[in-house]
Amino acid sequence: MHSINVTPSLLLSTRSRRRRRLTAALGRALLFGVTAVSAGAVILIIGFIVRDAAPFVRLCGVREFFCSTQWYPAGTPAAFGALAIFYGTALVTVSAALIAVPVGIAAAVCLSEMLPFGARQAVKPVVEILAAIPSVVYGFFALVVVAPLLQTHGKYLLAGLVVIVGIPLGGGVVLLTGTLLGRGAARRRGAPTWLLGGMAAVVAALLLAAIWQCLQVQVDSGTNALNVAMILAIMALPTIVSVAEDALQAVGRDLREGSYALGASRAQTTLHVVLPAAASGLIAAIILGVMRAVGETMVVWMASGNAAQIPAPWFNLMAPVRTLTATIAGDMGEADQVTGSARYHVLFFMALCLLLIALICNIVSELVIWRKHKALG
Amino acid sequence: MHTRTITATLTALALSAVMATHAGEEIVVDGSTTVGPIAKAFAEYLMSQHPSLRISVSESGSGNGAKSLINGACQVATMSRPMKPQETLAAQVKGINPVAHIIAMDGLPIIVHPSNPLKGLTIEQARDIYFGRINNWQFLGGPNARIVRISRDTNSGTYECFMEMVMNKTRLANNVEYVGSNGAVRQRVMNTPAAIGYAGLGFVDATVKAVPVNGVMPTAATVLDNSYPLSRPLFMYTNGEPATGTFLHAFLTLCQTPKGKELIQAVGFVPLVEGGQQ
Amino acid sequence: MTPGTRFIERLFTAACYGALAVMVAALLLLLVPIFVKGMGALVFHGTVEYRRMRHELFDRGDGAQLAREQAQMQRAAQPMYAMLAEFEAALPTNPPAVRATQAAALRDLQQRLRVLLGPLPGEPQPALPRSQYGQTRWDRAQVKLHEVLYAEVWDYSNPDTMGQKMEVPRQEQFAGTALAPLFPFLQQHTRAILQPRLTCYWRFFTDASRDAHFFGGIKPELVGTLYLTLGAVLLAVPFGVLSAIYLVEFARDGLLVRVLRMCMNTLAGVPSIVFGLFGLACFINTMHVSPSKSVLAGSLTLALLILPTIIRAAEEALRAVPMTYREAAISLGATPWYAVISTVVPAALPGILTGVVISMGRAAGETAPIIFTAAVSVGQTLRIWDVLTQPTPVLSWNIYNVATEHEAVDEIRHVQFGMVLALVALVLLLNGAAIILRARMARALKG
Repeated sequence: MHSINVTPSLLLSTRSRRRRRLTAALGRALLFGVTAVSAGAVILIIGFIVRDAAPFVRLCGVREFFCSTQWYPAGTPAAFGALAIFYGTALVTVSAALIAVPVGIAAAVCLSEMLPFGARQAVKPVVEILAAIPSVVYGFFALVVVAPLLQTHGKYLLAGLVVIVGIPLGGGVVLLTGTLLGRGAARRRGAPTWLLGGMAAVVAALLLAAIWQCLQVQVDSGTNALNVAMILAIMALPTIVSVAEDALQAVGRDLREGSYALGASRAQTTLHVVLPAAASGLIAAIILGVMRAVGETMVVWMASGNAAQIPAPWFNLMAPVRTLTATIAGDMGEADQVTGSARYHVLFFMALCLLLIALICNIVSELVIWRKHKALG
Repeated sequence: MHTRTITATLTALALSAVMATHAGEEIVVDGSTTVGPIAKAFAEYLMSQHPSLRISVSESGSGNGAKSLINGACQVATMSRPMKPQETLAAQVKGINPVAHIIAMDGLPIIVHPSNPLKGLTIEQARDIYFGRINNWQFLGGPNARIVRISRDTNSGTYECFMEMVMNKTRLANNVEYVGSNGAVRQRVMNTPAAIGYAGLGFVDATVKAVPVNGVMPTAATVLDNSYPLSRPLFMYTNGEPATGTFLHAFLTLCQTPKGKELIQAVGFVPLVEGGQQ
Repeated sequence: MTPGTRFIERLFTAACYGALAVMVAALLLLLVPIFVKGMGALVFHGTVEYRRMRHELFDRGDGAQLAREQAQMQRAAQPMYAMLAEFEAALPTNPPAVRATQAAALRDLQQRLRVLLGPLPGEPQPALPRSQYGQTRWDRAQVKLHEVLYAEVWDYSNPDTMGQKMEVPRQEQFAGTALAPLFPFLQQHTRAILQPRLTCYWRFFTDASRDAHFFGGIKPELVGTLYLTLGAVLLAVPFGVLSAIYLVEFARDGLLVRVLRMCMNTLAGVPSIVFGLFGLACFINTMHVSPSKSVLAGSLTLALLILPTIIRAAEEALRAVPMTYREAAISLGATPWYAVISTVVPAALPGILTGVVISMGRAAGETAPIIFTAAVSVGQTLRIWDVLTQPTPVLSWNIYNVATEHEAVDEIRHVQFGMVLALVALVLLLNGAAIILRARMARALKG
């Protein structure tokens, strides 16, 4: 990249020149070796996980693993149906993303577009500290502080959450549909205040209905999908905010200035110019945030309740669920590998699935960014 | 260059010498979270008696204890269930001869929240609850509340004992919540009015309510005379019989001394009576 | 601006500021309880029982002063013990039916008093330290005092709901007996008996725990965390920095480098529990670097985990060094190698250091990778030559352990919060150091 080619000095003798070239080549080879080892580590990891996951496919096949919800690794006969565990992983991840994405992107917009430089510098450490706090601390907080709270005041907490998520989400919906519909109206002159007001009223009514629904919820136990989703959302926030903010910052000034010059307001500029321009970065931010939530172990192990079930109804966040990571952490102790049982290998198969999810996320985010680069030329 | 090699070798030698001299005074204990409190209390007591002795205790589940013993990674495996045939087999393949020492008895109290009016359960009712046939306290004479079932994680000896003694090896319902340790079972039950759980006798205190099973309350006396239906021995496994006079021997025989019995009682388990060993 | 757009504008601004406020509030909600309650492990009102424990278990404090305080405790509690003795003496004179219930009530009361004040006079020394002492902390003592004064009774009379908790003054159980005055007496004199005094226990960080974290501090955990972190950094830094130097200074853009980069990005995305499984399968079960869990195996696993962070930070730092540095060095006759070693790396050093410090924070806080490779729940402080073969207690794992697996989770909340505070403080200190380093660097590059 930054290497510079220089013509070797003519003053050196042929021998010393040759020696020098040799050492340089050797050194370069050495450095390349070290780099290859560092990069090869991931191959090693995949290799070992595949090696120990393969016997499971041989012993039990994958049909039951992906299609059954019966998870009884210690039973006789044992059952290794991980469908419910996959569902649990998906449920907590998606709900964490539902909380973290609107809040995270709105916060990134605030950081990047609204706050003055000084204030931004003051808020940045908040993001860094949130990212730095170890996951076991989040888990401890979920178990010791949030779980009892959920149990006693669960419905109010849920209602509060609906407000926190609903306002940016609802606001976004009002703005987008309002301006979309408004475009037609604008051609016939005049901004559709009544339309926006109507939309806002509908969204507010929906929000109120949701809050009312939340207040009817019966909370059986404080360690459940909602608890984990909230904590995972907080953990994914810093990733989303910092990556999204970088993406917004990367949008050129000229675009913004052009939009303002055409008389657009800040909201219009952000929504119609900056956010679409930064879309690939935002998608990458969301993927990275989701990856953090999928791979998290301690929080889900401590606070998800670890019940291998598909909640009824399917969106019931107040039910305990089990995730891939927590199953690996919780079951490894007894999965005696001395006998090479399916019980040991199934955990590696789960790890392999996690790895694949991470790989796919990585590739997708890289593709998104790459396509963007290509589009920009 | 030479001097450096020599120094390195010397340091390595010195280190290994130091390690060798300390090897005899180091006991590594690994295994069950149920037996954990006993092992920790024994370790604390012996270390306060012999300051040069170092004991580390891991609570990673009975199966992990067996594994560590088989791999030669610990001297004592604490287990809340007997070793399985395949574990014994694996040990023999590796040249390890696991010897069981029963150190105490434990009951498996079924616990509910103290606000639960439940007066008692039969084994069949407990099985029906965990199997998913009984889903509401209403059916057991209680108020209308969904039962929250708490179980130890599948990697524990306590779970396997429960499966064997209560469930007859039938499966638990899908929505049973699993937690990683006895302490966590108690915590969950203590914080959840509609919960039911099971844990080692040493973990049950006034914050939860142990219910009579088949009409018998779990106490030290009922566990010892086997009238409480859910009782079990707790084990420590070693590789061969420990030689008399070693710290390891002292650690394993502590449960037969009055001090050891007092310790076992203090952490909530039931010490063996003289000649009561099977 | 039409009212419609103004409305949009306001809504938009409010939503964005609101989101930021939610994030800040989440951080505060998390950190404030941890700091407040965590400080409770260090600064609290210690009772005379605390001072006795400190003297007997840790050989600290003024013995003569302690003797005086204990004498005062004895004096203050004497009337209470007299009442107990009187009641016990009168017990056999009661009719048998009353006698049984009273004896049971007495046993219960005595047990509660033992928990509050330590073994009653004339009783033998219990075996476990936790029952050798009464409450060592005034806040816990007040909880226990409440349990002495009030018996918890559950009212199951309403069949439609779960039972209701009722607190019955124990005084009622003993009405008309010699013990009736004990309760008001105890309530009035607890302070005189236990003599709480503001205590700073800074040695929390340097004491080993006694009796499974009932007393003492967290030194073994702290030392274990330090070993693991330093080990991971020592193993990862050479690889990370050399790889970054290769990628920035020597590699030519091509398929090979693109593959290398993709591998590293993938490594950064591997979930931490997978690292743990890999460490178990590779270092312990296949390579046998140690017979079982050990600090070495844990450090190796953590090293892999932080490798991408270090590479990325080092790359950025190297890239930030202006091209003119290299050109200047080479124009003075340096070979490209010499230019890198003599000018580029030193200039990038603060940036590289920042990355290393941040990755130390990451390594110190990780739990999942060390569950199967390094962590045990109870153990001695590791000596340096043990790191190759022995597992160690670690802060992160022991937070999990004492918060869930411990047999008396509620009795040692302060220790749990203390541990959490120690871990958070360690990680934040490392990150703070990184932020300061970065600021310095920025200033140096500017100036």
